[in-house]
Amino acid sequence: MEPVEVKVSDLNVWIGGSHILKGVSMKAPPGAVTAVMGPSGSGKSTLIRVINRLIDLIPGARVEGKVLLGSLDALRADPYEVRRRTGMVFQEPNPFPHMTIYDNVAIGPRIHGLARGEELDRLVEWALRMAHLWDEVKDRLGDYPHQLSGGQKQRLSLARALALKPRVLLLDEPTANIDPVSTVKIERSIMEYAKTAMATVIIVTHTPQQAARISDHILFIYQGRVVEYGPTREVVLHPRHELTRKFLGGEV
Amino acid sequence: MSEAKFKLLVAPPAIVSSAILVLLFIVLLYYSLPALGEYGLGLLASPTWKPVEGALGEYGLLIPLAGTLVSAIIAVLLAMPLALASVVFTEEILPRGMPRWREAFVAMIDVMTGLPTIVYGLWGAAVLAPLLGDTLYRWLYEGLSFIPLFSCQPVTGNTILTAGILLAIMITPFIYVVVRESYRQIPRTYREAALSLGTTRYEYARIMMGMARPAILAGALIGFGRAAGETVAVALVVGNTFNMPSCLLAPSYTVSSLIANQFANAQLYPLMLNVLVSGGLILLLIGIASNILGIMYLRRVRYVA
Repeated sequence: MEPVEVKVSDLNVWIGGSHILKGVSMKAPPGAVTAVMGPSGSGKSTLIRVINRLIDLIPGARVEGKVLLGSLDALRADPYEVRRRTGMVFQEPNPFPHMTIYDNVAIGPRIHGLARGEELDRLVEWALRMAHLWDEVKDRLGDYPHQLSGGQKQRLSLARALALKPRVLLLDEPTANIDPVSTVKIERSIMEYAKTAMATVIIVTHTPQQAARISDHILFIYQGRVVEYGPTREVVLHPRHELTRKFLGGEV
Repeated sequence: MSEAKFKLLVAPPAIVSSAILVLLFIVLLYYSLPALGEYGLGLLASPTWKPVEGALGEYGLLIPLAGTLVSAIIAVLLAMPLALASVVFTEEILPRGMPRWREAFVAMIDVMTGLPTIVYGLWGAAVLAPLLGDTLYRWLYEGLSFIPLFSCQPVTGNTILTAGILLAIMITPFIYVVVRESYRQIPRTYREAALSLGTTRYEYARIMMGMARPAILAGALIGFGRAAGETVAVALVVGNTFNMPSCLLAPSYTVSSLIANQFANAQLYPLMLNVLVSGGLILLLIGIASNILGIMYLRRVRYVA
């Protein structure tokens, strides 16, 4: 499958009366991890929800600008088509509680008719291995997620998204409520998936440390505006903007 | 008001209402005992109903019991798809684009849960039964009489199937409300997760309904309990005939319609009153059991991330 670059140009979002994103432009290249960082309330989550059109669910949201996933015009296209190409992991671990571990991973491929039988088994195993969860659950794929720890649930949510082999993987603070061991595993998965599948990974994070650990590019947003965008090394070591320096130092 | 006084004020009503259930059970059991002593298990297992004026008749509740179960099961089977479709319609389809229509729709269904049941009964007897008798039942008999359930020639529209269909219409709003309330409680993160997989609305609704499964079971049980206990509407359309409901196009009886029809002259027949009361006891037990099971299932609806 073809690599897909995500390109956002002059994006404005209003929800209710408030202006959430103010002229945001950014690029996220394939084969790399792009971190979106900023204090809470800066519009990070809204940005990735525009990219996969979950913004459509929010009543009273208005979106202007352009979002390209490769050649697909995400704001004009059928939202199902957009979401089919993008996968998402959320802040709360949210595997479907009424489905077994296996079914949680298999649901996407099943819905889209991608695999069945042994082929589906292999795909589920691949996704669980990619999410560094396989060894812990391979003997109990028929169990329900409530028997897993929070970190394991989150890796299951990641595996569910990976099973569709999305060209674009979006993560909304996926490790905010997760134990350190699972955090490390999720971070490794994300980096490996970006490199091995030439996927475009965009991760929202509120900790500069995480952005520094795993990303190739950093986008720093503050109050709905892009403050700084560049290669991670440069942004972390030589921030051009005073606000970025303060955020990295934990002052904002 | 002091703490103690306040407790004294609110405790008695609560105690009285729960005591009523216990007393009800005791009284029904007390009046059932003579009939149970005379007929034993035959009271439930015998299809015979032979009253003899002034002397001891033969009474078995098998036919009305079967009629109650068959009509309630038909009602639940027909009401489930109606209720679930209505939930998807008001929660997923109408909110986008037609929120005002949704308010009206929801209000109408909510009102339907509180309508006097005699209204359904009158409509059922005057409109629904004749209509079904002239159309659907004729077609079923002509086209599908090789199926035992449709093998008897319908004479009128007053049949066990009409009772089931009318009951389905009556319990759909209840099931709808139970399922809708749980459906609304599904946290947004699961909705987003389902949509992020590129699901169509149909696939999305299937995942959400899977999450609401305990509520769907609870709704079915509570609906079953209501259908089994419903009296006046059923009495008007079921045909009130001692006839095993093995063919759905024939009239039959239910326990509650039997009690309603026979109670007034029961004094003329020794033990008949006690037999009817034991029928009431069985209804009470069915009602309690289906409600308790329903509530237990509802308690299982917890979505902890």
